[in-house]
Amino acid sequence: MSLTVDSSRFGALEIHDADAIEFPLGLIGLGGLHYALLDRNPGSGFRWLHSLEDPGLALPVVDPREFIAGFALALSTEDRERIGAPDLSAAQVYVTVRTAPDPADTLVNLRAPLIVWEGRGHQVLNTAPGAELRVLLFGGVAGAQAG
Amino acid sequence: MLILTRRAGERVVIGEDVLVTVMEVSGQTVRLGIAAPQGLPIYREEIWLAVKEENRAAAAAAADALPAGGAADAPPAESA
Repeated sequence: MSLTVDSSRFGALEIHDADAIEFPLGLIGLGGLHYALLDRNPGSGFRWLHSLEDPGLALPVVDPREFIAGFALALSTEDRERIGAPDLSAAQVYVTVRTAPDPADTLVNLRAPLIVWEGRGHQVLNTAPGAELRVLLFGGVAGAQAG
Repeated sequence: MLILTRRAGERVVIGEDVLVTVMEVSGQTVRLGIAAPQGLPIYREEIWLAVKEENRAAAAAAADALPAGGAADAPPAESA
């Protein structure tokens, strides 16, 4: 089975049920219960986390482990239990991307990663050292933010 | 907004299953203990607001806004 999303960015998208990700608690400040990952430019590392309920809601994401050397996760016991993965290294991990006119200024949010395990996703708070809200994707740390 | 006065050790019950306990009052600081169902996330407001802002900023990206280069082109970056 599949469903069609009439994306405001990408036009009609056919999403297979198996590719849907349930976020029981939604994304912080955005909500949405069901999303899918779109790989519009294979090999780039960039994906879109696209809402299946809101055709205009999509966030670019990357797996921080592909871009950020030394990326680490430190989660609360409550978040670990919520995620349910026995080993976080086996889970999918993404961080949101804040684009900028100059690609060198592209930022990622290491503080609130998205962890996907067995079709369910959670946005959690990462308390590992260096896991800031705004980190330059292509090197260095941007201005430190609250966190 | 409901405003309640509580002393250290006293509690507030929200709904059927959220219990907020005033653990300690010291000067301008109040320590709270919150017992809530596992599925109910609890955030400090400033963190919740900051993550919400980042999410909304990310969601404002246009379809063609992503950098052309990918992980293979990225110089090594340290998270700490």
